[in-house]
Amino acid sequence: MRRSAAPLLPLFLLVALLALPQVLPRFHTYIAAIVLLTALLATSLNLAIGYTGLYQFGHAVFYGIGAYGTALTLTRSGMPAPVAFLVGPLAAAALSLVMGVICIRLSKLYFGMLQISLGSLVWAVVYRWYSFTGGDDGIHGIPLPDAIASPKGSYYFTLIVTALCVFAMYRIVRSPFGKVIQGIRDNPVRAAAIGIDVRLHQLASLVLAGFFGGVAGSLFVVVENSVFPDMMFWTFSLEVLIMCLLGGMYTFFGPLVGASVIVLLRVFASVHTQYWSLILGTILTLVIIFLPDGVLGRFVRRPRSKEDAGA
Amino acid sequence: MDFAANLFSTGTLSQILVGLSRTTILFIVSSGMSLILGVLRIPNVAHGSLYMIGAFAAWTVIQFLGGGLFAFLAAMIVAPLIVAAVGFVLERGFFSYLYEREHLMLLLLTFSFALILGDLVKIVWGSEYRSVTVPPFFQGSAEIFGLPLPWYNLFLLFIGPCIAIFLWLVINKTTLGKIARAAAVDGEMVGAVGINVGWIFAFTFVLGSFLAGLGGALIAPMVNISLGMDHSLIMETFLIVIIGGLGNMWGALLGSLIFGLTQSLGILVWPQFGIAFPYLAVVAVLVVRPRGLLSSTW
Amino acid sequence: MLRVESLVKSFGGFKAVDGANLHVNAGEIVAVIGPNGAGKTTLFHLLTGHLSPDSGRILFKGKEIGGLSPHVICRRGITRSFQVVNIFPRLSVFENVQIAVLSRERKTFRIFSPVKGMAEEEVHRILRSVGLFDQKDVESDLLSHGDKKVLEIAVALSGNPELLILDEPTAGMAPEETERCIRLIRKLSEESGLTILFCEHDIALVFEIATWIMVMVRGATVVQGSGEEVRRNSEVQSAYLGESGEC
Repeated sequence: MRRSAAPLLPLFLLVALLALPQVLPRFHTYIAAIVLLTALLATSLNLAIGYTGLYQFGHAVFYGIGAYGTALTLTRSGMPAPVAFLVGPLAAAALSLVMGVICIRLSKLYFGMLQISLGSLVWAVVYRWYSFTGGDDGIHGIPLPDAIASPKGSYYFTLIVTALCVFAMYRIVRSPFGKVIQGIRDNPVRAAAIGIDVRLHQLASLVLAGFFGGVAGSLFVVVENSVFPDMMFWTFSLEVLIMCLLGGMYTFFGPLVGASVIVLLRVFASVHTQYWSLILGTILTLVIIFLPDGVLGRFVRRPRSKEDAGA
Repeated sequence: MDFAANLFSTGTLSQILVGLSRTTILFIVSSGMSLILGVLRIPNVAHGSLYMIGAFAAWTVIQFLGGGLFAFLAAMIVAPLIVAAVGFVLERGFFSYLYEREHLMLLLLTFSFALILGDLVKIVWGSEYRSVTVPPFFQGSAEIFGLPLPWYNLFLLFIGPCIAIFLWLVINKTTLGKIARAAAVDGEMVGAVGINVGWIFAFTFVLGSFLAGLGGALIAPMVNISLGMDHSLIMETFLIVIIGGLGNMWGALLGSLIFGLTQSLGILVWPQFGIAFPYLAVVAVLVVRPRGLLSSTW
Repeated sequence: MLRVESLVKSFGGFKAVDGANLHVNAGEIVAVIGPNGAGKTTLFHLLTGHLSPDSGRILFKGKEIGGLSPHVICRRGITRSFQVVNIFPRLSVFENVQIAVLSRERKTFRIFSPVKGMAEEEVHRILRSVGLFDQKDVESDLLSHGDKKVLEIAVALSGNPELLILDEPTAGMAPEETERCIRLIRKLSEESGLTILFCEHDIALVFEIATWIMVMVRGATVVQGSGEEVRRNSEVQSAYLGESGEC
């Protein structure tokens, strides 16, 4: 049943998303855009953590650099907008490569902690460099081309870019590279023994994750028109991690679901209470205790052969 | 930005001493985290929140007892005890059921507690800054190298080594400490010889929490007690523990020294980006010695 | 083809391998035997790059390979199976072999083509040759122990090796499975001329199929030779005296 329905579901969703701004008020369209780019961000993180098994604890820094890269290009250089939208993700990818090379020799937890520390270093620099990055004020009122400056325009731009990137990541995950990184995740010793340069593949995975994280950051610039240092603060990194966990780290669409839930909850909660951290923390605790595979992970198990009943 | 002049003035010495007193706090808190990490293998993201609770609790105690030296000293004892109690609840109530999970899950669980505790502090104490004044006994400064250094900082410089020695005694000379160290290396074996490993873990976590609370209480007179204290501290603590070697007490001391000093000197030399210096030091150490400077128990 | 000379490897104060010597000629089936803790698995780890030797030489086809990374050694033509089953548990049987084939074909960085049907013929061929074709879609973690060990061999074969190293290939297998494994090893050697190096506890098995045997005791090579020579060697006899020949 699932298999025949599967291609229809995303299609239906896409149609619904396309129609969205026509029926919903402006604020909701804005929220929907935020949901989309956060879903992209979470999926990019999952490339590193769910599929490659790397403890990517500092992912927010790529989001932030992608955003700042785009913002700074738009506000400070004379370059046209398309360039800005390339600069952001490429800067994030470059940073990911540099950080990856430094961190990759470390195992698991150390990798994660060093990544957070490097990320915090970047954050500290951005936070203090008032003259260039606007310091803790961030950058506001970023000029955008007319087509994408309006709420509807920014929404459609976000939708299209997100859809393309998610599709690209879907293909990556289903490719030989995708299988290899999963193999590395499950058994790096075995992977090396069959001739796979584990470090190189892990680095490639990190760069891809960083790149798509940077794209999400660029989209934020389009939707929000501003950037601020807290985008790359480590608490946000962990929040994105929670999204992946909530939705299911070992599924492709899990992070999308998790991101949607968390963003929508956050918006809803901020209207009614100032204790969002409490709510988030409680959700996370419940997920860890009761749903370690995440929401989707619980319901989607790998299809198995009929023969294994006897094995 | 006259680096050379800045670096070699007497201001430097004074900054170093300030850095060292900051090191004390970092050391106390980091040793707590190192303990927890070494024995329980949990990277405790909630450690910063425990520290913050220590500071707020100290404020409450001092308010309650009306200020003065006695109130201050009482706070230094009661606040950490309160935090230790919180730690006990966390450990017995939650962590003890989840030890066999992967580290990633445990880390995220501690993060969830950091979130929850952070907001609980907001609920109990509100969002405003609090401050605690240094009791009259410690007010004023002494003259060190011709420059004034607050008595309170000297007090911290004194307390630091005391705590270090106390911890060393507990870990190496008491039976409990020895068992905890054994449990860090091989929990199963310790359980197999009939010792209740669960209580060892509880003890360790409680002690670690106590230390976090003590750090918070001690720093209370020196800073604005505010929400967000937890976030800035936890990162520093993690890094110190990593560069020092996971689970290693002397490593926590070494890491704290490096961190505290690079930060003070960094700000002296380059005020705008001085806070980045400790992070650079961390990166440098980890590139050269990925497992930390001293041996880790992992 | 493979020459090991005076290999030494210590861990802390413990000398796991202390003067190991071995030579393997092309097309042979060579066995390494010895009592428990003799250092056989450590030796294999040294050969395949999972450990670096402290001293001594490992020459494969005339070139030094000691200290190289496992993936480099694999590319040079040596693949292995592991003593404790070491497959990709979440992938199916087919996918386990497929990854290895794709790795050999250097297609691991393809990111935009779907992996589904890739290298299908090759993977089927390998699976058929080891007898696992019928279970190709089963999640490998669910296989019987014996089948998992055969899958290990299949994965090692996918690298198209010149030298196949098997670390206790029949450990934990039931008798029929062991028989099957022996037949497989024989077949691989006869049909493809594959050089095989393995270690085993099952002495009878060793004497049945190995053309050359090396005996290790306490990390050192005691003797190398044909089955007869080894059997007659007095040191070997004393090493096994009183033991049931279990490693």
